[in-house]
Amino acid sequence: MVELERRGTPTVLFTAQTFVHDAERSAASFGLAGLPLAVVPLPFTNQKPADIHRMAAAAFEQILAGLTKTIEPPKAVERPALEERLAFEGQDLLDAWGRMQADFLRRGWSDGLPLVAPTDRAVEAMLRGVKRSPGDIVATLEPGFGIATVEKLAINAVMAGCSPEHLPLLIAAVRCLAEPKMYIRNKAMSTGPHAPLVLVNGPKGRVANVNSGMCALGPGAPSASNTVLGRALRLSMMNVGHTYVGVSDMDTIGSPLKYACCCAENEAESPWEPYHVTRGFAKDASTVTVHFVYGICELHDFRSTTPEDLIQVFATAANNVAQVGTGLWLIGRRVDPRSKTEEKEHNTLFICPEHAQIFAKAGWGRREIQDGLYRAARLPFRTMMLNKEPKAMQIAHPELGWMTDHPDLPVPVVEDPTCFDIAVVGAAAGRGAYFYGAGEPVTMPVED
Amino acid sequence: MARLEILNPVAKTVEYSVKPAARLQAIDGATIGLYWNIKAGGDAALDKTEELLRARFPKARFKRYTGSVGWLMRHCTAEDADRIASEVDAVVGTTAD
Repeated sequence: MVELERRGTPTVLFTAQTFVHDAERSAASFGLAGLPLAVVPLPFTNQKPADIHRMAAAAFEQILAGLTKTIEPPKAVERPALEERLAFEGQDLLDAWGRMQADFLRRGWSDGLPLVAPTDRAVEAMLRGVKRSPGDIVATLEPGFGIATVEKLAINAVMAGCSPEHLPLLIAAVRCLAEPKMYIRNKAMSTGPHAPLVLVNGPKGRVANVNSGMCALGPGAPSASNTVLGRALRLSMMNVGHTYVGVSDMDTIGSPLKYACCCAENEAESPWEPYHVTRGFAKDASTVTVHFVYGICELHDFRSTTPEDLIQVFATAANNVAQVGTGLWLIGRRVDPRSKTEEKEHNTLFICPEHAQIFAKAGWGRREIQDGLYRAARLPFRTMMLNKEPKAMQIAHPELGWMTDHPDLPVPVVEDPTCFDIAVVGAAAGRGAYFYGAGEPVTMPVED
Repeated sequence: MARLEILNPVAKTVEYSVKPAARLQAIDGATIGLYWNIKAGGDAALDKTEELLRARFPKARFKRYTGSVGWLMRHCTAEDADRIASEVDAVVGTTAD
């Protein structure tokens, strides 16, 4: 709508009451505070046509006003405090720290857990983890177009509990978020529970003690680095990217994965080349990969001893049509309309070392697993379309209209075999993890 | 009393500014674009809006649009926006939420 206004075309947008703050903030971040809205009580999704008609009719006068009445001067838009330093007083330092927690919660700057105080000394120490200057700009981070300087990321890293050796990893992760292909605006603001799954490869992850083995996704002392690094990324999304719940993060239910979801690949136990090599990096390079994921399903199998049997079990995790990405290719691809970067819907598999050995001993690599899953993970067309808009498929794939006459046709859950990303993670026992992904992963090198 | 001084974690933002379009002098005789991002239910809201506008402004004309790219949501590219802006006088949009 803002782009149409820019071109001289007046607009008005239906917006559900719950999303008014979101719409106002979004329009303001694109430069047009006060974009006319026709506010309706509920989202139109999951409503019967008669109920939608009633809501639209009730909003009709707002539509007329939006089209014809001069836009009022922009409302005051909530802006973050610009002061670079904050001070809190208390009976003692612990009391002052408690007031900081309460203030940050009130402002929405906290993830809800206690934060480490980002004092000058702590931030200076954090900055020693990189060679870059504090004022260097790493990226501009959407949805709020926040300027991600090294110092701001260091402050959020301190608050998360990071050590200096984590900062280069955090910077690489933030660069992943800022890549146009990541389309972070969509994932940060969505009603879906998009959580950044962070996968670390290479020696710098080991220096930073990022756990790749037992209970790699935490919790617990062995995964302390994983927890704080994942948490630092979430805090950076919030305080640098301005992704705030109820304002610019409209997640319907939320997800515990959004607090922190980070680990390293267990390269030592993997029979294959490290994941980052498949992404075009040298084996001795250090990288961070971020893949936004909706949810996680266990890949449990203590019985199978052949790749074929394991694939059948894994495919049952992939065949989950209640998960938004399943079969989503039928209605198009995720696209940032500004950059026109397209994403296929990927899913990430963390295969445990024991299962990886079963595949490897039979001569299977990632490619064979991808191909096997692509063949095995299929659902009837009618099942796949249960939660998809038929008109969207007509637009995206008019050439596939014939499928409507074949409702029992098995249809692959992903667009092609490469939509399964595979890393080896975890300790002994036949239990891996299947992450239902949102779009494609992005990998960045870790730099000093 | 103790005092805890800390650094602000919140980043400054890049600011953009867009001048809003002039509003319509009259809806009758205007061409109204009805933009749907393909999310379920949005089309029904636009159907009703068109019906009500037709009833009150018989000389209004209507054109339907959706974005040329996307999946669950179809988005407007710059080229789409250019085309829509060249074809209609105003737009009513719905994202369904």
